[in-house]
Amino acid sequence: MATAEGVVVESSPQRKIGRYVMLGFILLWCLFPFVWLIDTSLKLGDAALNSPSLTQGPFGLDNYLSVFDQGFGYNLRNSAIVAGTTTIVCITVGSLAAYAIARLPLKGKVLILSAILAVALFPSVALVPPLYELWRSLGLLNTYPGLYIPYTAFTLPLTIFILTTFYASIPKDLEEAARVDGATAFQAFYKIILPLAAPGVFAAAIIVFVYAWNEFLLASTFAPRDLAAQTVPVAIAAFTGSVEFQRPIGTITAACVIVTIPMIIMTLILQRRITAGLTAGAVKG
Amino acid sequence: MSPSVLVMALVAAFPVIYAVILSLYLYQGRLREGFGGLENYAEALSSSRFWGAVQATFIFTVTSVGAEFLIGLGFALIMRQVFIGRGVMRAAILVPWVIPTVIAAQLWYFMFSVTPGFVNFSLGLDRFNWLGQPGWAMFSIVFADVWKTAPFVALLLLAGLQTIPDEMYEAARVDGASTWQRFWYITMPLLKPAILVALLFRTVDALRVFDLPQVMTNGAFDTESLSILVQRFVVQTPNAGFGSALSTLTFILVLVIGVLFVRALGRDFVLNVEDE
Amino acid sequence: MKLQMRARQRFLFATILVVGALVAAGCAGTSPDDEGGGDGGGELSWAIGGSEAAPGGVHREVAELWNEENPDNPISIERLPDDAGEQRQQQSLELNAQESGFDVLGMDVIWTGEYAVNGWLESLEDVRGEIEEVTIPGAFESAAWEGELWAAPYNSNAGFLYYRTDLVDEPPTTWDETVQIGMQVGEQEGIAPFVGQGAQYEGMVVNFLEYYWGAGGELFNEDASEVLWDNDIALEAVEFMRDSVENGFYGSGFNTFLEEESRNEFQSGNAVFLRNWPYVYGLASDKKESKIAGKFDIAPLPTFTGDGTISALGGFNNAVSAFSDNKEAAKEFVVWASTNEEVQTLLGESSLPPTMGSVYENLQDDPVMALLGEVLPEAKPRPPAPMWNDISVTIQQEIFPAYNGEKDPQEAVEAVGAFLEESIQ
Repeated sequence: MATAEGVVVESSPQRKIGRYVMLGFILLWCLFPFVWLIDTSLKLGDAALNSPSLTQGPFGLDNYLSVFDQGFGYNLRNSAIVAGTTTIVCITVGSLAAYAIARLPLKGKVLILSAILAVALFPSVALVPPLYELWRSLGLLNTYPGLYIPYTAFTLPLTIFILTTFYASIPKDLEEAARVDGATAFQAFYKIILPLAAPGVFAAAIIVFVYAWNEFLLASTFAPRDLAAQTVPVAIAAFTGSVEFQRPIGTITAACVIVTIPMIIMTLILQRRITAGLTAGAVKG
Repeated sequence: MSPSVLVMALVAAFPVIYAVILSLYLYQGRLREGFGGLENYAEALSSSRFWGAVQATFIFTVTSVGAEFLIGLGFALIMRQVFIGRGVMRAAILVPWVIPTVIAAQLWYFMFSVTPGFVNFSLGLDRFNWLGQPGWAMFSIVFADVWKTAPFVALLLLAGLQTIPDEMYEAARVDGASTWQRFWYITMPLLKPAILVALLFRTVDALRVFDLPQVMTNGAFDTESLSILVQRFVVQTPNAGFGSALSTLTFILVLVIGVLFVRALGRDFVLNVEDE
Repeated sequence: MKLQMRARQRFLFATILVVGALVAAGCAGTSPDDEGGGDGGGELSWAIGGSEAAPGGVHREVAELWNEENPDNPISIERLPDDAGEQRQQQSLELNAQESGFDVLGMDVIWTGEYAVNGWLESLEDVRGEIEEVTIPGAFESAAWEGELWAAPYNSNAGFLYYRTDLVDEPPTTWDETVQIGMQVGEQEGIAPFVGQGAQYEGMVVNFLEYYWGAGGELFNEDASEVLWDNDIALEAVEFMRDSVENGFYGSGFNTFLEEESRNEFQSGNAVFLRNWPYVYGLASDKKESKIAGKFDIAPLPTFTGDGTISALGGFNNAVSAFSDNKEAAKEFVVWASTNEEVQTLLGESSLPPTMGSVYENLQDDPVMALLGEVLPEAKPRPPAPMWNDISVTIQQEIFPAYNGEKDPQEAVEAVGAFLEESIQ
């Protein structure tokens, strides 16, 4: 399966070299700031703030230790639960909704897609005061649902859009053939359509997860302090230096490295799923 | 499914309706002074600060989304072809995007600062004040945004690329089509829905940019975006009526642009379905 | 068929993965009873932020001290974020909803009028006497609005001029002298003559006001019923800043600096003079971290006339929420924290400037506290007007571009004056 991925274009030596130069450039572009981040997180004291050199120490793991001293494990757990729930709900609801929309006539489609898009376009800073009051009266402050409900609401449009484009590109005959074979509408969707749309589903899942994992504004208002619900970005923003005004750049960068590593592992896994859909795509044609 | 969609719609629609109603009232600080009709809108539309924010937002959106599209497309094409170290490569490309925006903003603030001055150090420049002069301040913000979100565009386009069957390229090659022709006549048309979705979501996000200019310049040197302006009147110097009017205007602006994209998308879906 | 099986397996795998991750994460344990809420009977909650509210900080020590003496009304800290703007937002959301989650509010000195006018604070007029008696006048002024006391001063702050003793013999007392010495030494050493807080934010407003006040300007009269803004004096201050950018008195990057950036320039040996708060002293004296440990000293900020010194006054006050369920105990706490010598001494020993004047006499061995004792009586609070935030934003919007050569200074100072007039109507 893996060998079926990608398209082999000409592979003359020059092209190969050119390609590797490009790859090197991309890696540099993407990773250089991240290397700086790791380097800074290992610097002790004020060295992080006043020396641009990557090699100038002193270095040590103190920043990482102090991050975990602040209960960061709970924040990681909260973020995993909130982002995981958001992703599952969003993908489940989104794939069914997108399928229905993809099979609509044009007029209805534009209208419904516009309406879905509209709900996610309000400037997020303006959402805070009204939702805060609503959440308070519903008792949703400092709870997981208080976070994953709005996250699902605001990522659902993107999910539906991505999946609609994928469903729309799948020929109707495939589905009809299944129906002729005696499959119900749901079976046809689940067994034929969904696997074909797998690259889109996984792309959407990563996007939703990353959004929910990184969201700051709503999280910092709806679950600002309570360790039972406080998420990672909010916890990082609450880091303080040893005296007032001092900026704790060391612990901030260390925490950032800690939260990024599981994300990299997750994208590594889900990324494979995106390209794995290619075999299925080959059925069409 | 429908009850959950209903809940989501309510969660999203409630603040909008709430803001539209508030925008019709006049406030002094937090205290309501009476009904003002469209007065808040008139004030916003006649203020140079609002139009300055519109201009800054548009400059940011056009330059950042344009650069992100080109770089993202390049990344996606390369990611589809790489064989050696493919997994690592793909994860590496996504690294900038999984860093929380608030932190990425701080990271770039540090990098562009005169002190410690990592960008200056890397480029061999002596104390160039990136964030402290007009033009370069916006450039730095756009650069940080492109770095952070080009991978998102790449991810969406890659998913789209994966649905284009290899056979089509094979057939084209047999017919003697060049690499460029294959790209222009096969890849681009078939990728169009994915491109539109990616551009749509990047555009509506860029139009609401907040964290990067907030952290990197605090809106100095013509980098005050519409969302920053909204934040000023919702949080910093609260005026519920005026702030809501600004949010509503921003919303309308973003919505109009969004709907234009959706119409383009809708037509594309139909073409696809009819083709097959 | 086989193909579909695979697809299903993939789905199953992904689902198991996500659910597994969640379960594993869930097993990490339940949250500790860290900083629990304060809605129980006699318990008080104190909403305050910053590094001193973190575990090990002096606010925690103060709370413990109170709890030992008052086991019936123990106080616990609701820790707010580090950034003052976010602290204000979190308090505002709670208070705007008229909720009782916070009993005691740790407030920046500039929020007094706003909170009072919104009806969020319990008046402290009945305990005015005992607080006024022991508090530094500037700090007391920052806690009152329209003649009524709304908060109890807790800790204060004032700006210093930091200078390099290895490069400068005597600290200058006028800005002209500072420019002259700074430019000469800076050129000689190849370093910046002066750094401070010049980015577009509240700190720049403070720096600007110190020039404006130092040239003899005022914002309002005593009861804030009349605007005393002087366009000519303001213009002098703006022109000084503008010249400083152009002639290089301000180090490169001044207009992007907050407290920390300017501290780092000075501490790395890249500047002759620094305007900053007292917190820099301890950090810059640390031999391990600082290149200038033992090579710098502090002095009062210069003025344009050379008479005396002027500094903007910072710090925090404690107030009682109007929606507290336990106002009496909360009031006792804020008065205690403001007038108890042990508490105020504790603050001083933790490098947080106390508001109680007499405490400074016992802290004379500490050079920072000794200078504070000298500077604070002369320090001016920014007017704690209900519209202070609007005023500050206006100053940022007008003065920042003006001093950076992006706007006409005359127009900018006139616009600030006009806004000040508007703000008291």
